[in-house]
Formats: sequence, C-alpha cells, structure tokens
Amino acid sequence: MTNNDMNLIPEGKPIGYVVGGGLKDNLSVRLTVPAEQVQEGGFVVLESGNWQFYGLVTDLQLGASDPRYAEMPTAGRLSPTVARLLKEQTLYTNLEVLPALMLERGPEPGAPDYEAWTRAHQNENAPRPLPIKTVPSHHALARLASAGDVAEIFGTPDEKGYFEIGRTREQDHPVCINLDKFVQRSSGIFGATGSGKSFLTRIILAGLIKHNAASVLVFDMHNEYGFDDTASDTGQAVVGLRSKFPSRVRVVGLGRKSTIRGKTPDLTLELHDSDIQPEDIELLARELNLRETTSTTLDALVHSFGAVKWFHEFRQMSIGAMVEGDDGKKSPAPGSVAFWANENGVNVAAAEGLRSKLTRVFNRPYLLQEDTSADPLKEVIEALRAGQHVILSFGDYESDLDYLLVSNLLTRRIREAWEESTNEFRAHGKAEPRPLVIAVEEAHKLLNREMAAQTSFSTIARELRKYYVTLLIIDQRPSQIYDEVMSQLGTRVSGWLGDENDIAAVLSGLAGRDALRGMLARLQPKEEVLLLGWGVPMPILVRSRRYDQKFWDDLMPRNSRSVEQSIKDLGF
Amino acid sequence: MTSIAIGRLLRANTSGCVIGCQVSPQEAPAFGQMVRIPLEDGSQVFGLVHEIHIDDDGLVRQLAGSTNLSEEIIEDNRRNRNMPVEMSVAFIGWQSGITLSQTRPPRPPLSLDKIYPCSDDEVAAFCAGGRFSYLRMLLRNEELPAADLLAAHLLQVRAAGGADLENALHEMIALLKDDYPQLMDLLSAVSEVVE
Repeated sequence: MTNNDMNLIPEGKPIGYVVGGGLKDNLSVRLTVPAEQVQEGGFVVLESGNWQFYGLVTDLQLGASDPRYAEMPTAGRLSPTVARLLKEQTLYTNLEVLPALMLERGPEPGAPDYEAWTRAHQNENAPRPLPIKTVPSHHALARLASAGDVAEIFGTPDEKGYFEIGRTREQDHPVCINLDKFVQRSSGIFGATGSGKSFLTRIILAGLIKHNAASVLVFDMHNEYGFDDTASDTGQAVVGLRSKFPSRVRVVGLGRKSTIRGKTPDLTLELHDSDIQPEDIELLARELNLRETTSTTLDALVHSFGAVKWFHEFRQMSIGAMVEGDDGKKSPAPGSVAFWANENGVNVAAAEGLRSKLTRVFNRPYLLQEDTSADPLKEVIEALRAGQHVILSFGDYESDLDYLLVSNLLTRRIREAWEESTNEFRAHGKAEPRPLVIAVEEAHKLLNREMAAQTSFSTIARELRKYYVTLLIIDQRPSQIYDEVMSQLGTRVSGWLGDENDIAAVLSGLAGRDALRGMLARLQPKEEVLLLGWGVPMPILVRSRRYDQKFWDDLMPRNSRSVEQSIKDLGF
Repeated sequence: MTSIAIGRLLRANTSGCVIGCQVSPQEAPAFGQMVRIPLEDGSQVFGLVHEIHIDDDGLVRQLAGSTNLSEEIIEDNRRNRNMPVEMSVAFIGWQSGITLSQTRPPRPPLSLDKIYPCSDDEVAAFCAGGRFSYLRMLLRNEELPAADLLAAHLLQVRAAGGADLENALHEMIALLKDDYPQLMDLLSAVSEVVE
C-alpha cells in the first residue's frame, strides 16, 4: 500500500469506536473504515469524555456476528446492494489497540466549566501525557493521530533537543526523539542484517553531533562511519560523519600506517604494554581459548611485576628454556615462564599455556613494547572531554581479537576518567563532565552472558549513567546480550527481527511486549523501525529517515548557517 | 382520503384485523399492500395485508362439481357470493393529528370500519425520513410470512418513492443478524426488489 492510499482517511475522521478490552488485554476498536486503510503499528487517538487516550494498533482481527456470514459468500445469491449491506453489518474488523498514554483535554470550549478548568491548568499545571491508568468508555471514537497529536507526544523538530528520527507510516507526521533524554541512559539499535542499522546509527549520531548533546565515541569495526563510504547493497555513495563535521569529528585509526578508505586518519592509536590490565586479557577468554587458571596466573603476574609492568615482563619471558645445574640436572632457565612460575608457586603448565596463547596479543602491531612520550589514549579522552567526537576505525584490524581488546581497554580508561571527573564535580564543584555516548557495534561480542561481568561496557550500561557515560549498542543478535544489560537500555530502536529470541530480548522489561512481539516480526525489512522504552513516551512504529542528501540538507540547511556556526565549524 | 373503501372490518385486536370485501381484480388490495383504517376520533391505523383468504360455501361446492358452467354463472357467483373474501392485516402504526407512530395502535378499530388502500403519498409519508422501525413488528411475529410480505411491501415503498430502501435493509439486518437462516431467507426474497 502506498502512502497516498493511507491519506484517503481525512485528518480527524473517526476510524472506529471502542467496543471492549481493558488495560491487560488491550482495547478493542470496531473499525468503520476499510481495513486496508489502517495498519498494524498505527498511532491512534481515542476520545472519551475529558480525556484523550493514545495507543498503538497491535493487531487487526476479522470477525463476524455469525461465522456463517463469513463462511458463505453471498455474491450471486443476493443482489449487489443487499450483499453489500449485509457484509457491512455482519462482517467487521476489530483493531487491537495497546493503550499507552492519556491526556486530560478538559471540557469543550464554551462548556460551563471550561473557564474554571483552563484557569486551573495553566503553565506548570498544564496537562501532560500520563501513563495509561484507565480506559476510554464504550463507543469512544478512535481516529488516526494528527500532526498535532504526534507533536503533543513526541515533540517537534523545531523544539530544542528534539530530533526527527522518522515519520508515522499512515499519516506521514514527523516523530522525534528527545536527544537530551536519549543520552541520559544507554540505548540500543537492533535489527537483522540488512535492515538498515548502520544508516539509522549514522542518522542518530549525526543528530547527536549536530545537537551537541554529548560527545560521541564510535567503535567503528567496519570503517563505515568516519569517511565517505559506498553502500554495500545499493552501491551508492554514503557520506561519512567526518565529511560533514570536519572540525568536530576526529577519525582515529588503529595502528601505525593505518589508512581508512584510502584516507589518513586524524590520529593514530597505538597501545603500550603498560596499558594492558588483567581484565583486558580475561575478556579475551573465549577468543584465545583461555583456561580457568588464567585469573590465578594473571594475579600472580601482577603481584610479581606490578600493574604497569606485568604484561611487558610476561612478554619477555621465554618458554622451554632450560639450564643445566652443577649436578647435571636441568632446570628452567631464569627469564623463562617456568622459572617465574616455580618462583611464585604458579602451575608451570598453566603459565606456559597462557604465555603461548597470549602470543596472538603480543604480536598485534599496534601494541608497542616500548613506552613513548605520546599517549594517544589520553589524547582521545581529552578530545572527547573537549566536546569533540571520535570515530575509532579499526582499519585492517577487523578481527574480533582487535575489536575486543582495543574497545574494552579504551572504554576502561574512559570509565576511570569520567568517574574521576564526576567525583571532582560533585565533591569540589569543578566543571560538570560532558555527557559521553559510546557507540558499540557487534555489541554481543562484548556484552554476552559470559563476558558482561568482565567488561567495562556492562558496568557502563548498568551504573555509569550517573557518571555521564552511556552506551549506544548496535547489534543484530540482541538475544546474545546479557539480560541485565538489555534491561537497562532506555531507548530501543529496532528494525525487523526474525528470531523469536531476539524479539523477546528487545522487548524485555517493557509493558505490552506480548502485543508488540508480532509487530517486530512483521516490520518491513528496511526503513521501518519500532521505537520503544524509557526514552520515548510510548512505543511507535515509524518509517525511518533516509540517510541521503535531503537528510543533510534538512539537518544543516546551507542558507541558515550563521557566521558563528561557520566559524565554529572551521574549528575556531 | 378520497380513495374508495375496499372493504369493512370483520374482527380486530391491537396487532391486526381481518377485513371482508368483494372480489374485484381492480380494487382488491394485493398481498403486502399498505392499508389504512380511519377511526371515529380522527386518527387512523396503518397495516399491511399479509393473508388473503377465499372461503367456499355450499353453492360454490355444487358449482365446482357441475359441468357446463357458463361464464355468467361464474361471474355471478364471484360478485354476489355469500362469503366475502377475507384479508388479514398486520398493524404497523397509527396516526393522530400530526403524530405518526410506528407502534401498535392504542386501541383496535371497530367492526365494520372501512378500510382504504394507501396512496403513494401516504406510503411515502409513513416511511419519511427513512424510518422503518415498524419492521420489528413484522419480523418478530412468527405467524407472518415475513420474507414474502416484506418483499411485496418494499416493492410498494419503492414505487411510492421518497424513502431509501437501504434504511429498511439496515433495519432488517440489524433485527435479524443473530438469526442467520431467517435473515438469509428474507434477504433472498428482498433481493428481487432491491438490486
């Protein structure tokens, strides 16, 4: 069905009336317009007395006052007029509406109590949408939400902090998210592969950068977000964020000589041995197939060499080196793993096994043995603190090992820095930390059940909201993400998901999830997303914006750029 | 009110009456036709003819059994018969002054009251505004041949003009949608009238 078909219903025209239901079972609305003019996910308004109720169509059901009317076609048996009238009165469609919000609209203008009500509901007492607490009465009229209704609930693009993420499918009204609220809690973008997650992420990141609500750090595993790219499915050019915000976005490449899409990054990120901590290694347990003894061995290493040098010292140790003693007996040579293990009461086989498995880490070209004066990690953190946005591209290092190691290490450092800043702010009244959003692709690799407890990401998702740091999780397998992390996500934006477990994970902890389950499974494979969770006033299905030239023209209209803005963009 | 009376009332109650009349192909009301019975107080009762009954008598029996019946004898028997043609009428409303009600009359007409066929204007006035609530009295009465009666009645309503038959169908479907066999029976008959 095209959008024009939808517009056949004039704004404000009733589409049906309430015939039953409740808060637990949803509301039942008898449709009075052809069923094909209303779709699952439609945003409807129910008017009942002095209240307006807002809900989402979660199902359409065909019904008949007697099953025989549905089972026995009347064409041929009855005249066309009679058959039509019979059909109209005995066959019907019921909408199942998930009620979400209610808003007091007061008496009609001109009613005796209108003046008094208006006086009592001014300024801060003005009616606001409330979570649903009661139901509309029987025969309350239902209509598709108008532009005013959508604006009342979701705000308008003209309001500060509001960013249009898409439009309602039926009536094409803009739907906004409140970016200030969005960054207050961790959020997630989900969808099966090819459902447009990356484009949606670009759109939201562009909104965050433009609005300047928070600094953004993107772990760009596939080098998509920084420089201009080409869409894998359409082959069309995709503008990178760095191209549009040259002075505010810094592309950081991993490793010396790294190039991203043939371009040189603004900064090269290299790590030092001293940066590596035991928890960074424990996170790699699955990737490196580490054994249960790893923690003990790492503890002993830190105990022997200290938190700064343990990794470097372990790297220098050899395996299998032996020396012959005066008595002719062979024993582990000094500097060998076995020698150190024996000295420190550590199982030799376990230590040698760990050393052997860590060879993959030692061999990472971006992991430097020698300490240099440059501290690119610190530079990244300072850039984020200063209000810049960082896209960390992994360049040629696209393996899971690289992604897990670097993203966790950097996030751990950020966590420490932001905790310190927040404590300074609270205890000593220093500058308030700038909110930071960390965008994590393939999040299930870092936040799965086994690893969630060990990574900084899970701590951020659960606790760091208070320290101004939140996550933006991007993933196609939300069911693989630890439940405790999923339950903390404020805003959830989900495209089409086919797997039942993934759908259940996205809806975990939300009211009305049973009603929304089917909707997620039946979204259009592209450009249709469901907005859910704490960050949006109510669940709503939207056609997401297209990441194209029009998007950029809308976001950054050329003519309206102020001189100040231009100077700012130039980096002054 | 200038039409010619078609007969006189034989017996009545508040739901209907039986009238007697002579046999006349031109003047005899048809099955389903709407009739009116003016009362002494100025009001009038409306009804539909739902049964036409021609009883025999001794003479008819003798004639039926005889041979070589001349046309004159047959015509004489029909015009001057002892037993009138009986027509049953189901009441569908009444009028008093400007008040037109589609309910049963407050009291039945009296014996030998005259019965008149309704003109097109009277039919149209009775159904004015698409009011067909009287159909319930016909559809709830199990002794009436509802399907055929309403088909015949709607034919007259259509001919009279002024009323939307879709309203009548709405009313019928609303009244009978819980009775699938009867409604389908009714609509099959009505389909001949409403295309």
